[in-house]
Amino acid sequence: MYFKRRHPILTVLSFLMSIGSTFAEIPLGEGGFKAQVKPFFEKHCVECHGPEKSKGKITLHTLDGDLTAGQELERWETILDVLELKEMPPEDEPQPDDAERQAVAKWIKGGMRDYVENAKKHEATPIARRLTNFEYENTMRDLLGIDLKLIDGLSEDPIAPYKFNNTADFMLMGPEQVERYLATARRAMASAIVDPEKPEVFKTRTEWKPIGNTMGQANDEVGIWINGRGTAGQGMGLKGFPATGEFRIRFQASAILTEGVKEIPLRLVMGYDLQVNSSTLEVEPVGTVYLSNSPDNPEIFELHGRIENFPVETMQPNKQGMTVSGNLSITPQNLHDDGTLNDNNRYHHWPRQMEMPRAVINWMEFEGPITDVWPPAHHTAILFDSPDRETNPEKYVREVLGRFMSRAYRRPAEKDEVAQFENIYALIRKDAPSFEAAMRETLAMVLISPQFLYHTVADEKVVPPDYEIASRLSYFLWGSMPDRELIQLAADGKLKDKAVIEQQTLRLLADTRSSDFIRNFTSQWMSLDKLKTIPINSDVFPRFLYYVPAGERAGTEMPYLPTIRDHMVDETVGFVAELIKRNAAASNLVNSDFAYLNEPLAAHYGIEGVKGMKFRPVSIKPEQRLGGLLTHGSILIGNGTGTAPHPIYRAVWLREAVLGDEVKPPPADVPALTDTAGKSAEKALSIKDLLALHRTQESCNDCHVRLDPWGIPFEHYNAVGKFQPKTPKEGVKVRPFSDALDTDLNGYNKYLESINTVEVEAEARVPHGPSVNGMEELKEFLIKDRLNDVASNMLRRFTSYAIGRELTYKDRFEIEKILSESEKDGYLLRDMIIKVCQSAAFNETRQNPN
Amino acid sequence: MSSQKSWHFSRREMLKGGGIALALPLLNCMGRAMGATVPAGKEIPKRMMVSYFAYGAYMPSSPEGIPLLTKPHHEWDWWPCRETGPLTFNKSSAPFADLKNEISYLRGLDHKGGWALGGHSSGDVFATGADMVGLERTNNISIDQVAAKYHGHKTRYASLVLGTEGGTGAYGRTKTLSHRGPGQPIPSLSKPQEIFNGLFNPYAGKGVENVRANLKRDASVLDLMMDQSSSFKRRLGHEDQQKVEEYLESIRTLEKRVERTSEWTHKPLAQVDTKGLNIEVSHKDPQEYIRCMYDLIYLAFRTDYTRYATLMLESEQSQGSELWNYATYVLGYKGATHDIAHKRPEGYSGDWDKWRAEQHAYFLKRLRDTPEGDGNMLDHTAVIWGSAHPHGSHSTKNYPIQIAGGGKLGIKHGNLHAFEGDKKVPLANLYTTLLNAVDVPTEKFADSTGEMSEILA
Repeated sequence: MYFKRRHPILTVLSFLMSIGSTFAEIPLGEGGFKAQVKPFFEKHCVECHGPEKSKGKITLHTLDGDLTAGQELERWETILDVLELKEMPPEDEPQPDDAERQAVAKWIKGGMRDYVENAKKHEATPIARRLTNFEYENTMRDLLGIDLKLIDGLSEDPIAPYKFNNTADFMLMGPEQVERYLATARRAMASAIVDPEKPEVFKTRTEWKPIGNTMGQANDEVGIWINGRGTAGQGMGLKGFPATGEFRIRFQASAILTEGVKEIPLRLVMGYDLQVNSSTLEVEPVGTVYLSNSPDNPEIFELHGRIENFPVETMQPNKQGMTVSGNLSITPQNLHDDGTLNDNNRYHHWPRQMEMPRAVINWMEFEGPITDVWPPAHHTAILFDSPDRETNPEKYVREVLGRFMSRAYRRPAEKDEVAQFENIYALIRKDAPSFEAAMRETLAMVLISPQFLYHTVADEKVVPPDYEIASRLSYFLWGSMPDRELIQLAADGKLKDKAVIEQQTLRLLADTRSSDFIRNFTSQWMSLDKLKTIPINSDVFPRFLYYVPAGERAGTEMPYLPTIRDHMVDETVGFVAELIKRNAAASNLVNSDFAYLNEPLAAHYGIEGVKGMKFRPVSIKPEQRLGGLLTHGSILIGNGTGTAPHPIYRAVWLREAVLGDEVKPPPADVPALTDTAGKSAEKALSIKDLLALHRTQESCNDCHVRLDPWGIPFEHYNAVGKFQPKTPKEGVKVRPFSDALDTDLNGYNKYLESINTVEVEAEARVPHGPSVNGMEELKEFLIKDRLNDVASNMLRRFTSYAIGRELTYKDRFEIEKILSESEKDGYLLRDMIIKVCQSAAFNETRQNPN
Repeated sequence: MSSQKSWHFSRREMLKGGGIALALPLLNCMGRAMGATVPAGKEIPKRMMVSYFAYGAYMPSSPEGIPLLTKPHHEWDWWPCRETGPLTFNKSSAPFADLKNEISYLRGLDHKGGWALGGHSSGDVFATGADMVGLERTNNISIDQVAAKYHGHKTRYASLVLGTEGGTGAYGRTKTLSHRGPGQPIPSLSKPQEIFNGLFNPYAGKGVENVRANLKRDASVLDLMMDQSSSFKRRLGHEDQQKVEEYLESIRTLEKRVERTSEWTHKPLAQVDTKGLNIEVSHKDPQEYIRCMYDLIYLAFRTDYTRYATLMLESEQSQGSELWNYATYVLGYKGATHDIAHKRPEGYSGDWDKWRAEQHAYFLKRLRDTPEGDGNMLDHTAVIWGSAHPHGSHSTKNYPIQIAGGGKLGIKHGNLHAFEGDKKVPLANLYTTLLNAVDVPTEKFADSTGEMSEILA
């Protein structure tokens, strides 16, 4: 593994500058190269990076001194980075003096800057990339005015850890993909444009009475875990439902709260019938309401959705054998969770279930499709009312197409573009059964045109590039198309004004749609997906996941409720959102005086006094061992093995996601960790010991010496993301919570303490830095010595995500500029986003000549 | 874990119980696709299939993919035996024991183009042999697509590209084995229901006349789409034009495909015997799922809907997908599937390999047990099964490779061959040989240096 520095380090730089004046400047160009740079390389580098050895696949002996040709600049940048960071020569080799080092760095930088400045004059960066699936679904929602789940029908976007999937290079297009776009567009248009006649409306209503049952709960109550047959907790099956359209569910509900609990979430899911233990559990959430009113004051709630988004249970057998008519059920779920649910299923049975808050539902109604206004608004937004429709159908079609295409293309559609689709319409209309059918098919074609599917910049003689800026803002901060206000500003040519950009950035960030951006951005930046598939070892962590207490599925993970892992994703995403909202300083990413928690998560981390399921910022004290991103369960679990922490995964995460280094995967000729240890890793050796063994091999040591120390200080945080400085002896099976043995959670914690006897070491010396013992010292070191790296990484990630490509040496100087502007107020995160939107890279709309 | 209600018919039960064929459009007698004999004058199709498993295999007595001379052959080593020549089987390879004369093991083969790819990335070039760190950074055409280009027009579908995770993945993290050419990975299909309908229910219940009329219109519309997209492309800058050219190329391919589909509407759809096929499976039940994928390839071959298939049984870098947990579901292993490759736990590593062998043997036996011509389907199908790593999951040399079938294509079986040391030849030599065996005249594929005479009868 070797590291490619992605960004400059200001601290090192300013330090170098302060002493630089005593050392003569190396003249730019080949003269200086031959006289001073080449001899420097020969003295310090070529032994390992030359004709004999080429460690890290980097060699220096073949470089010539002409940077203006624009050749090999990536390699030059790597050299520049390691020089500035003092990563090379390795610590155990003779070091050049700082002035010499700085002079060489300055020489490289000077040449690079000259090249970049010059190249900018005649070379633009390509822009075209297709919409990501996330952008596609959001765009369709805003374009069509209906929220359809479409991603499942598309080819998956490629993913790579710590990279954004909107990177143009990843976004390939093939015929299979276009086919899927077409099928998806047809499906969406089938929903967007309705037939003229009002469809049949289906209604179902169910009531529940507060009579008791043997489980202790009354029939109108929704408890946690499993609810009895025929109770409100089992919800209602629909007697009939439409194939398409918006539905409405109304219900009257209240809550029976327990001490300290002020409200509980009641979620409705729809799809397969969950009351049967062995259901395939295919459901989708309809929505969640929070109940705080008592049964004496029941309230009526209303939720809406699109029926197309819900899985329909098919193939019900009947006496004749089988029908394929569908079945659809609505199930309410009491999502309250105080973090003790898995204590030996204690709340599954009466009377303990009565200790938990319950929801009450008196009645529930389903109605769909909603025909209050027919045709619905999303239909008339496309096929608007106009006398032309009858009197001048050609003109009407042209107008319909022009309006729709201008929205779909995020800029005014050109006349000839519309004309081409008029031809397509004419062809389709010939054998289409109706006007609506022909329009559906024609507009589906608009939705597979490159103008819709790609982010591009059209010829500025025809379309002003302002529209592209409007799109960039909205796709960056909403993951969707620009709204009316942005398009109007583009039309008025106002998006060239930096003050307008700032004001729009703030407006977009304040809109709820920005939460899509933060979730998408954060998940990819942190590679959060890993969290969900780490197999948690229940022998070691018996009460971390929630297991089904009874029935056919007993002992398997609770399948259709939000789990602690979902809460952990929400914690990380919500924390980042909170930092941006507060315009907090970048140091908060490393350490903060608050955590973002809800009740079950707080219980997991051992924080008292957090009640309820809603997330909120919670002030924390140092002894609670939280703060910043490094201690988030999502990170610690995702970069562990489910049984033990994994210092390499955590080190890679820290270097990639926080410090912004690119950690190369282990080279092919390097044996796996355990192979170098010579025995099975399942046998006794801790990963830390394995690493020590691994480092005894030179080929492994070259990289690991610079990697492992970053992961070791995380060792006090276990594989389920809790602070745990002592562990049980190797191979000890941890018993689950037991009512009889533990009485309560404190009792169980005492048991854990009694078996956690082995002290975990977490001390390591970071490369070119001090010895760091444990998380607190690691955070302290990062904030003191590496804050610029953290901020620079953040800035580069915002930029890269915003412009849809990876940054190169060409972007280096602009990043440095923004970074130094941000330094004075401590790198405020929201301000950084504004500066990204005002940057030249973001506003680049030139095209290269053909 | 059963995920079906007790009173809920699974498709499988229904088919088993009632023996009902699915309600597919059944057009006249397609007996020949089903039957044991091939009508006079009709050539027996020559087929090829490539399948890949990730993270290497357990080789305690040959960790670098070639035997350690210091240790006796291990009963759980992926290689069935140590000595070259006639195969004998150990515990790991036991599922293949009664396929002895239908399979060969080839030791010491690999793609040079994958050597320098990172530990888990060499799977990218398994079916292509491309030099991805050198001149072919965006990969290159895969062996199945070479064949599909040559003979693909003879069948309803030129090829079938399947994978357990679906999609293309990214460079270095592929989720498909098939590539049309540089920068053109073909997304693998992973959803059985969708694959089944795509293959065998292509008209989605519509009448064939109706379908044909729609295709005709689609062709004209695509033509206009091509015009409008081309004029749009001309307005873009140079680099953007290249990106949009990918799109135009896709539309061109679709136009051809529509034309082809339209031609095929004049030929009857095959009757498909779906006995035992459960297309409502999920990853939670790995054996059912994997076998279903194998079954779909079997059916596509049996109906001669296609002759070339790839199956990415497991992708490298499966973090974030259910594959990561396969070993947990199958064996109760308390760790990620990938960890088996790194930790090589005794007691799980062998079982895991054996489980994978059982699934592949299931497929081979289905082919073998289906008579065709004067032999069986396996005799006319060359099947590659392997991974891009030996034991050490970061090694990219000396792949585990098994080939099966093709007895009637001139391939000789029953032996272990060794190509290590001074006998080293590129894996692409095997590919060249197989391409020629399925009548795709090939002098050179990727970095091949010739044919592999050792496996020819």
